[in-house]
Amino acid sequence: MPPANCLCRNTALNDAPLNIERVDQIVDEHGRGAESVIPILNAVQQYYHFLPQDALRRVCALTEISSADITAISTFFKQYRHEPAGEHIVQVCHGTACHVKGSEQVEAVLRHRLGISEGKDTDVAREFTLQRVACVGCCTLAPVLRIDDITYGSLTSDRVAQVLRDFSEMGSNGHADIVDGDKGLSSSAGEIRVGLGSCCIAKGSDRLYGNLQRRASELGIPVGVKRVGCVGMCHQTPLVEVLLPDGESVLYAQVQPEDAESIVLRHFRSPSLPRRIRRFFSTALDQLFTDESWQPVTRYSIRVRDPEVSAFLGKQKRIATEGFGSVDPMDREDYVRHDGFSALKSVLRQADAAAVVEQIRVSGLRGRGGAGFPTGEKWGRVRSADGERKFVICNGDEGDPGAFMDRMILESFPYRVIEGMAIAAYAVGASEGFLYIRAEYPLAVERIRHALRKAEAGGVLGDNIQNSGFSLQLKIREGAGAFVCGEETAMLESLEGRRPAPRLRPPYPSESGLWGCPTLINNVETLATVPWILRHGAEQFAALGTESSKGTKVFALAGKVVRGGLIEVPMGITLREIVEEIGGGVPAGHVFKAVQVGGPSGGCVPAELADTPIEYESLQSVGAIMGSGGLVVLDDSDCMVDVARYFLRFTQAEACGHCSIGRMGTHRLLELLNRMCEGKATAKDRTELRELSRIVQTASLCGLCRTAPNPVLSTLRYFGDEYDAHLEGRCPAGKCKALIKYTVNDKCNGCTLCAQHCPYDAIPMTPYRTHIIDNEKCERCDICRQVCKEDAVDVK
Amino acid sequence: MLTVWIDNERIEVEPGSTVLDAARRLGIDIPALCHWPGRAPVTSCMACLVRVEDDERLVPSCSLPVRDGMHIQSEVAEVHDARRTAIELLLSDHAGDCLAPCHRICPLHMNIPKMARQISEGDLRSAIQTVREDIALPSILGRVCHHPCEGGCRRGPHDGAVTVQQMERYVADEDFAAEPLYTPTRQPDTGKRVAVVGTGVAGLTAGYHLLRMGHSCGLYDKDGDIGGSLRSRYSQAELPCEVVDAEVDLMRRLGAAFFSGARLGQNLSLGELRADFDAVLLATGQGSAALAKELGIASDERGIVVAPRTCATEVEGVFAAGEAVRGECLLVRAAADGKLAAAVINRLFRGEALAGAGKEFSSAMGRVAETELSRIIEGQSQAARVEWGTNQSFISGVDLRTQATRCLHCDCRKADTCRLRHYAQEYQANPRKYRTQRRDFSQQDDHPFVLYEPGKCISCGRCVSLCSEAGGSLGLTHIGRGFDVRIGVPFAEPLQGALEETAEECVAACPTGALSRKQEGTSSCRKSILCRCNAAGAD
Repeated sequence: MPPANCLCRNTALNDAPLNIERVDQIVDEHGRGAESVIPILNAVQQYYHFLPQDALRRVCALTEISSADITAISTFFKQYRHEPAGEHIVQVCHGTACHVKGSEQVEAVLRHRLGISEGKDTDVAREFTLQRVACVGCCTLAPVLRIDDITYGSLTSDRVAQVLRDFSEMGSNGHADIVDGDKGLSSSAGEIRVGLGSCCIAKGSDRLYGNLQRRASELGIPVGVKRVGCVGMCHQTPLVEVLLPDGESVLYAQVQPEDAESIVLRHFRSPSLPRRIRRFFSTALDQLFTDESWQPVTRYSIRVRDPEVSAFLGKQKRIATEGFGSVDPMDREDYVRHDGFSALKSVLRQADAAAVVEQIRVSGLRGRGGAGFPTGEKWGRVRSADGERKFVICNGDEGDPGAFMDRMILESFPYRVIEGMAIAAYAVGASEGFLYIRAEYPLAVERIRHALRKAEAGGVLGDNIQNSGFSLQLKIREGAGAFVCGEETAMLESLEGRRPAPRLRPPYPSESGLWGCPTLINNVETLATVPWILRHGAEQFAALGTESSKGTKVFALAGKVVRGGLIEVPMGITLREIVEEIGGGVPAGHVFKAVQVGGPSGGCVPAELADTPIEYESLQSVGAIMGSGGLVVLDDSDCMVDVARYFLRFTQAEACGHCSIGRMGTHRLLELLNRMCEGKATAKDRTELRELSRIVQTASLCGLCRTAPNPVLSTLRYFGDEYDAHLEGRCPAGKCKALIKYTVNDKCNGCTLCAQHCPYDAIPMTPYRTHIIDNEKCERCDICRQVCKEDAVDVK
Repeated sequence: MLTVWIDNERIEVEPGSTVLDAARRLGIDIPALCHWPGRAPVTSCMACLVRVEDDERLVPSCSLPVRDGMHIQSEVAEVHDARRTAIELLLSDHAGDCLAPCHRICPLHMNIPKMARQISEGDLRSAIQTVREDIALPSILGRVCHHPCEGGCRRGPHDGAVTVQQMERYVADEDFAAEPLYTPTRQPDTGKRVAVVGTGVAGLTAGYHLLRMGHSCGLYDKDGDIGGSLRSRYSQAELPCEVVDAEVDLMRRLGAAFFSGARLGQNLSLGELRADFDAVLLATGQGSAALAKELGIASDERGIVVAPRTCATEVEGVFAAGEAVRGECLLVRAAADGKLAAAVINRLFRGEALAGAGKEFSSAMGRVAETELSRIIEGQSQAARVEWGTNQSFISGVDLRTQATRCLHCDCRKADTCRLRHYAQEYQANPRKYRTQRRDFSQQDDHPFVLYEPGKCISCGRCVSLCSEAGGSLGLTHIGRGFDVRIGVPFAEPLQGALEETAEECVAACPTGALSRKQEGTSSCRKSILCRCNAAGAD
């Protein structure tokens, strides 16, 4: 939500004199200490839409922030702009799922359509600014792009034109406001639940929510329309669950905002007959124009006992995401009704911090952020570390492309994360804490901010919580677009107001963390698991999973899979069960090839090894890692060399550049992979690729670059034949642009559809004759193949 | 005290010491570019990697605290490979030359840009020192060398090469006219004696360098006049006899003993020479094949046969150089042979392997694009090249100084002190290991004393911390991130503002040639250091 006094993007920022007083206000709001640099820069950018140099100089003059620091930080984070942006910001998501579903082609066509040349980010008329973003966390809608605050999903290169048309018609007003506050009505008449995670909103569930509320109140039906967090079944969104007074529930999938009225009327009786008649007539009138009545809704209706839904849900076990699809993320009372804060209260009542640490130790919980360090052990270290002042930090800088479970948990269960943090803080003796949340997750920030306010008001945060003598102050720190900040030492630097270069560990943050104080840093999912463990007992948690990996893990299942979504499964489940049973396998006509596990630090597990169980150690033994929990399914149309290059491109772009091996090593690896994908590599390059990967893996300073070669090494290990093919100038999957050609076969009936759609004029208009593709002009955008109804376009 | 084993050598160190500290106390030279004794480690260059036993990973020793009983591997192949990789990775993004192209091309490897800086300041005494460091006979070569250096001059294709040869001649002539004459310094006497047979350009050059290395030297000529073919090959106008005489006199002042009328195989025997001297160099000029046969040394149609790059004949302690080996060749080539022979003989005396003399690591950025060149020339003198012409007496000091200002100073001012170069040499790094496009070469020279060449920066951050500690209003900072990270001045302000208090310290702290003294090698540069140091209250 832009501030009320925000300069509209439409005003000519370049020409207007800088309103420098605003900087003074911002500084007053955020403080003058060095650690305020990121909040100040975020506020300056939010106001001016870029960082005017005069504003930065003014900040330096007013604060303790030096011009060297402000330059280092403002040029480090990708979110900051130093040049004015165009009127609209177009963000193209390049998450893993988006990549394998063609985001590069989408971006190329978008650039072409918007007239933004390579190397530039804004068109000449300054109408659109294009940004590549690492991942907006809507992987199940891949490929995704955002124009201002509207998200468009399930794109193809051909749909780009349509999206731009839609945007110019709708402007930025396509979305209904989401009501902020506790408005969850509960009612005996039943309940209508609408999932409102970022992905659902992108598919229109916020408008649907608004429509449902409006229609229900217009019709005088006393049904509660309730906003709930992520439902997990992202492939079916927008999802509406109708809870009838008799306890039966009906799920409607892929509902359109226009369907709101039909749903309300189908299940609930309006008490006032005249109104009902009035609605009936107006509905009948609608029918005259649309010729659609109940049909669309009936078509989408699914029930929990339907085989598909039970397959998706059957193998799952909800702990961190307990209450998915039924808890209102904004409503503290609702969280309390679902046993919320009971764990914290009982911990404070028992007043035995050491016992809490012991419980966590016994539960066998390991860090869900990737490395899997035993959580109880970490808590114990912070607890026993010397220091009057201790901190607890929730690491919400989820940056893996292809992973969005932390975002989902923050958006859907903000109170649970806060409760977990409060328990952790109590256990280790911290009374201050931060939630570091990445900038790309505005909804998560908004909901956490709201939840913090409510929690304080409700006496579960702040001074002397529940009269226990324990106090905890939590603050939000927003990131500004840097993957490396997920690395804990870099995050600490960033919190302290410095350029986020990682430090060599030891010392670990548990001894010397934020401002040298003992600091507990846990990932979102880890913290969200804590209340459940304390409520149900460590033994019950430890009973789930395997010997070395206990409990459950949340995964973002995306890519070439029929039912993508947010899932939580017990440890020990196999990859095959996830892909084939929960995910419903790869789309028809394709062959399951591999699962990319663990994002840029992980590896590709081939289909032959899909029976590998989900465990920290077993995943490592096959060259992957648990990571933060991205599972991207790949099929026979995915090129593994391209996948390796994709991840290297990501880590190279995200590497902080502090250590020489990470900085230069990842860049040289990327160059080698680029040569592979362009068919210019030699056998020597392949050897070089392996050797340099080993060095980068063993000798980089921090985990980001140490794990960066994993996708390369795992694909070299399992898909060496594809590398061989690239050395011979072939891309078997037909992905690598430089190695493929589009041709028209004799099925072509000369319908000219391809010629009409080609954005590069590479297909001459030849009605009733077989079309010919000009390979010089062809940019391999794939549109011709997508639009051809005769299957006449071949890719070789 | 904590005990640590490095490569199985045991040492006790104070708690709080790093592994690098411990290694240095053991005399192990672990490369460290960003490390700065007595300061918090930056840990960015990653050249100081070591392995903690039983750990697969390699860790930077500069920030690895010693734990009691720790076992460290340092000088083992695998660790060296990783260090070499770190250095090669740094070099793969290095835009800048160790040596200027003219310097590299010159067979005698004279530091031409340094000479040009000294001339342009009118500091001819320093200039002759620079010249005579590498060239034994500058007044001769300044006249008759075919000056390949000028062919390599970057300015050449733009508006004509710098007139290097004229500068060399001028500097040498002025010195001969000056009082007192510059006499190069000699190393302390080594007690080693070398006989040089033949006093042409190769023989004189070898003798000159051997003398300077502290060896004593006897030079034999078959004729009455010293100078060999230098006296017969050129006309008096091209190379006046007096010029040769002057150079020979200088050699005498250096301590050379000349013997004329001594003809090898007749009144001079190789056996006796080998008995009397520790080494013998045959620089007997063209047609030495016959002589070789007489002496029983292997020869081919051109002359005496020597092992490549060592000047060594098959007879132990006997070397050959110049036209005696090559047959007819360019003058400077023969001089280079003489210089190499001196270096090889020096290695022999020091008990080192003969091969490898004169092989220095040199990073070269290759072709400079037109845009880069124009940018470099923009900030330099726009004076036109003045041709040699027929009237050789036109050269005046003023003209020469102007000509010297045309030099683009393509050299690295810190070629001799650069730690990256030092360790690149030590680790036999290959600067072209990674096939890649180099980044743009650029210079920032808006500071009166300091030159910043971003292409040579390894982003170690030393200067950044110095400036930050000094607390000036600007300072230097990291700009950007990842591969694109650069060091620069905030808000693109000029360098002078950034280095107000810290210019000298930053230049000294920079481990490479990225920050250097613009006028390196000149008296004004030395003066400027002094002033700055006094002002800053530093040592």
